[in-house]
This record gives sequence, C-alpha cells and structure tokens, in this order.
Amino acid sequence: MLELLPQQLVNGLALGSTYALVALGLTLIFGVLLIPNFAHGEFYMLGAFITYALVAAGLNFWLAMLVSVVCIMAMGGLVDRLVFRPIETAPALSLMISALAASIILQQVATMIWGTEPRTIPAPLTGVIRTPFFAVTQLQLVVMASVAAAFGAVWLVLNRSRLGLAIRATAQNRDAAMLMGISMPQVRFATFAMGAALGAIAGALLGATFPIYPSMGVNPVLKAFVVLVLGGIGSLWGAIFGGLVLGVAEVLVAGYIASELQDIGAFAILVLVLLVRPQGLFGRAQVER
Amino acid sequence: MKTFITTLSLCLATGLFGAGPSIAQAQEIAIGDLHPITGPATFYGLPESRGIHLAAEQINAAGGVKVGATTYKIRIVTEDDQASPTVGVAALRKLMAADVRYIIGPLASGVAPALKPIIERSDKVTQLIDGSIADDLTNGKNIFRNQATVSGYNIAVVELFKARKFGSVAVMTDRFHAGFMGSQSKLMADLKGLGANVLGEEYYKLNDTDFSAALTNLKGKNPAVLLIRGYPAEGALITKQARQLGFTGQVVWEMVSPPSTVLKNISASEMEGVFNCIPPTTEDYVKLGDAKAKALDAAYRGKFGEGPGELTGLSFDAVHILKAAFEKAGSIENAAVNKAMGELKLADVPALTTKYTAQPDGRLFDDKGQVDLRGVVSVWKGQGWEPMTNLSQ
Repeated sequence: MLELLPQQLVNGLALGSTYALVALGLTLIFGVLLIPNFAHGEFYMLGAFITYALVAAGLNFWLAMLVSVVCIMAMGGLVDRLVFRPIETAPALSLMISALAASIILQQVATMIWGTEPRTIPAPLTGVIRTPFFAVTQLQLVVMASVAAAFGAVWLVLNRSRLGLAIRATAQNRDAAMLMGISMPQVRFATFAMGAALGAIAGALLGATFPIYPSMGVNPVLKAFVVLVLGGIGSLWGAIFGGLVLGVAEVLVAGYIASELQDIGAFAILVLVLLVRPQGLFGRAQVER
Repeated sequence: MKTFITTLSLCLATGLFGAGPSIAQAQEIAIGDLHPITGPATFYGLPESRGIHLAAEQINAAGGVKVGATTYKIRIVTEDDQASPTVGVAALRKLMAADVRYIIGPLASGVAPALKPIIERSDKVTQLIDGSIADDLTNGKNIFRNQATVSGYNIAVVELFKARKFGSVAVMTDRFHAGFMGSQSKLMADLKGLGANVLGEEYYKLNDTDFSAALTNLKGKNPAVLLIRGYPAEGALITKQARQLGFTGQVVWEMVSPPSTVLKNISASEMEGVFNCIPPTTEDYVKLGDAKAKALDAAYRGKFGEGPGELTGLSFDAVHILKAAFEKAGSIENAAVNKAMGELKLADVPALTTKYTAQPDGRLFDDKGQVDLRGVVSVWKGQGWEPMTNLSQ
C-alpha cells in the first residue's frame, strides 16, 4: 500500500486545491464583513453554468471563464445589496438565514434555466502527466496553479492598494474605519465582488473536472467552512493550508482506512480542531471585553 | 318562504350539476403516475411519466378499457416524488386520499421500500413498479413489478464474465442504492464461482466527485475489470478518473444510462468499448428493429418532440398491463384486479413493447409479482450503446 502513497498524496493535493479555491472567496467575505455567506456555493455553481453556457455557444473556455467571472462579480455586488446590506446591523443569525435564502433562490433559478441533469464543461486541457510514481492531469495542475495565482492576486490587492488598506481596516475595526472616512459601500462591493470572482473561477475550473448541477455548491461550501475553521476565519494562508490539509486527510482516510469514511474523516478533523484550537491553525484568538 | 324555495332550488340545482361530473368520473379509472418529475432523477422520471400519459391517450383513443359491459377511460394523476423517500411517501398519501387505487411507479430504489409498508397494509391500492430494481419489493398480492430486479441485471454481468473469462474484478458501488447494495454479496459470490478474483470493493454516493483515493487503491491491484454500479453521472466520472490514473482494463457499467446524459459528462472517445449490463432499453429495441418499439418511438417523438427515455417502454407497458388486468378481472375493484394480475398470461398483453420471458406456466408475473426480465450486454460504440449479440467477441 505504501507504494501508492505518492499517488494518494497527489490525489489529496489536487482535491485540497479545489477546497482551497472555494474557501478563499468565502474566507474573504467572512473575514472582512463577518457574513457566513452560504450563497458562495451558488457563486461557484453559477460560475460553472455561465462558463458552460458560453462554451456551448462556441466561446473559448478561458474567454468564457473571464466573462463568467465578470458576471458573477456583478452578481456578488447585487446579492450584497439586496440580501445583506438591508440587514447589516441585524444579529448574525439573521445574516445566516438571509444567506441560506439567497442560496436556495439562486439554486432554483439555475434549476429553471438549466434543469437538474448533471453535465460537465468540455475541458480545455485533457492531457495526463505520468511519472513513475504518480499521474496528474493537466487540469489538476491548472487548479493548483490557480490557487497560488488567486492567493497572490488577493494578497496584492489587500497589501499593496488603497482599497486593500480600506478592506483590512474594515476587517480590523469597522467603526474606526468608518470614522476614518472609509466608504463602507465601496468596501462591501469590492469584498463581495472579489469573493464572488474567486467562486466563479473555482466553478469554471472545477466544472471542467466534475459534473455541474444546480445544487453542486452545497457540499463544497460545507467543506469550505470546515477549511475556514481549520485554517482560521479570515486568514488567506489558513484557507490554502486548511484546504490542502483537508484534501490530503480525506484521501488518506479513503485510501488507507475505508472510502465510506471519507466525509466522516473531514468532519472529525473539524471537531478536533474546534476542541484543540478553536481559532484555527492560522487564526488569532479573540478576547471579548 | 320565497327565499327558502329559491335556496332549496339552488341547492338542488347545485346537487344535480354537482352529480354530473361524478357520474362522468365513475366511467373513469384513475391511475397514479408516481415518478420524479423534478429533482436529480428527472431525466429518468419524466420520460417514464410521458410514456404513461402516451399509453393512456392511445388506449382512450382506441375506445378505452372494456370491463364487462362498461367502458372506462383512463385518467392519469401524476405526482412528483423527486426521487426522495419523504416526498414519495407524501405523494403516495396524496394519491390515496384522492382515492387513486392503481399506482405506477416509483423509479428510485430509495423510494420504493419507503412506499412498500403503506401499500402492503392497504387493500385499496395496487402498485405496479416500472422503475426501481431493488430486490424484495413485490408481494404478488397488491405489489407487482414489470421492471427487472437487480438480480436480473446481474445475470448479464455473470454471462459477460462467463463468456470473456475475466480473471479478476474490482467493484465501485453506490452505497445508497438499495438494489445494488442488497445484491452485491451474491454477485461477488457468483463471479468468484466463475473463477474471477474479487480484488476490491469500494463505495461512493450520489453527487460524489472525487474517486481518486478508491480508484488508486483498486488500480494498484491491477484488476482485469472495473465494475461500476450506480448512476451515469458518477459512472462517467469514475470511468474518466480511472483512465486518468492509468487503468487500462475493461470498464463494465451496471446502470441505466441514457447516452445524452453520459455524453454530458464524458466524451464519446473515453466511453468507447465500455460494457453495460442492463435489460434492453426502448432505444435498444428500436435499434433491433422491433415494430412495437418503433411505433412507440414515433408516437413519443410526435407528441413530445424528442426521443423516448430508456425506461419509457416499461412505463408504457405498465398501463397496458393494468388495462389487461381490468379487462380480465371484469371489475375495477382492487381484489379482483390483483387476482387477475397474478393470473395474467404474457399473451394477454399483446401491446407490450418489452420482451419479457414468460413464467413456465405462461404467466407474466411469478408468485411474488415479479416479471422475468433479464439483463443483456451492450457496448458503447460511437455515440451510444449497441446491444451485443455475441459476448465472446
């Protein structure tokens, strides 16, 4: 069985990259605006479907993905405007219920447009790279590279731009940021647009690997919340590291213990982290005063 | 007094006019159509439901159902079970509350076991299952099935292994599919009996997307055959991921898998040469040139603007089986119809599009209410499945 370990680790990293890609957008919105955006799964799903529709209409995959990202960024802003901003001072539970409502509405809209039958976006790259120890598809490598690129892009925006400064200030202390003259609507729109864009990229790339259907976002978002708890809410590093750890752990559980236990393994890790390090591996402990 | 007389007149008029439709409805037989019209299994369920409506329409147009001296029209009452046990039970109760006494369906092997105890307890419902393949669903009393059992599917797998003399097999099974899970140990024993070494059994569930860990394990054991038992979206993904991981052996499916659904999830070239072991579908019969299947195909296309689904023929047949049972019973009371169903001969239902094997005494159903419908092997060629006439080649 150990001779299969390199392949299983590659499988785990490939799976973990998909989790990380979904979790990046979620952690951004959660970290800055404290909104548990369950509708992030629907940004992911709609990103996949819009790419699918455009590719089916004859557009090049990468161009279709770009158009899809722009559409979903606009949708992210719209969802914030219609669903979250009207209740921004409401308790966290209200935000969570609103997020779930938005998630269900977007799923139903997608069902009405595309139906429920699973389908896959024709993959732009179909090759497989084989080594003596493991095989990896070109698309899996693209997903891994996209995680790194998305992380780099978000890091640059957050750390090397005035907008990023405003977003970070809002994440640290919203009231103080507003007193300093930071425009909250702009910060909200930018955060939602960036988060949604990351969801759309994930949807387009993973839709070329996995079947797409209207409820496809539910499981990845649940896993992404596990990743957030694992890595630390609001931490970009945490989203990447947490995603990869979760992916590798799941594959090792499925590969070396039993495939039926794959999901149990993921949620067992969640419980363990909550017990041992509730703020996550990269999160900072907060003190309520 | 005048007001009283006016009111009384209105009540009488309402009563009389109200009785009008009741008298008309008495000449109808309501048949419940319980299938997933929405939800993840729509691509199976909708063509089944349409097949039922088409059969009823044709029967009504041809004069209806003649029961003794009375002629009845068939009225189809459709309920959507969404392939969910909870929704299915609610839909069944709704049909029963509306006094619908004959039910065709369901499709999903998760739904049928949930309905069974309710239907078994009632003497006012007769069920004819046209979709679910799980074993032990029928009772020969008021639950019958004109679809194969999963054991019927397995016959084709065993025949294939016998003909090809495969030396080993690894299996991936949908662990929430009651039919496949219930028959797995028997199938494995049968394959071992043929000399095939069962190298591994792994499990997944509907909507899983990553099978790499299990497939890496199975591929490491170098099986001659990868047998996949479940639904086509996952089947396509498993096939694709197995090839990407370097599996070069034979892939065998055991699942109803419309080519249109398959091709939405995997390319035709990646499917080339994959075997499938299920009873012949409507499309297979059409390809084999069967006249009744071709007529069904043409009527379906004429009415719905697209080809029938893989299970449409079974649903279409189910309406004709009930019609034959009503006429044989000379009654539309459940007890009489149930008895007639059990006694129906294959020859009593000439409109059947599916090629069932008659019981030794010529009956359509065995004592448990199950038809004899056996799986055959098809192979993917080009854009779809082709029935295989010679398994050795």
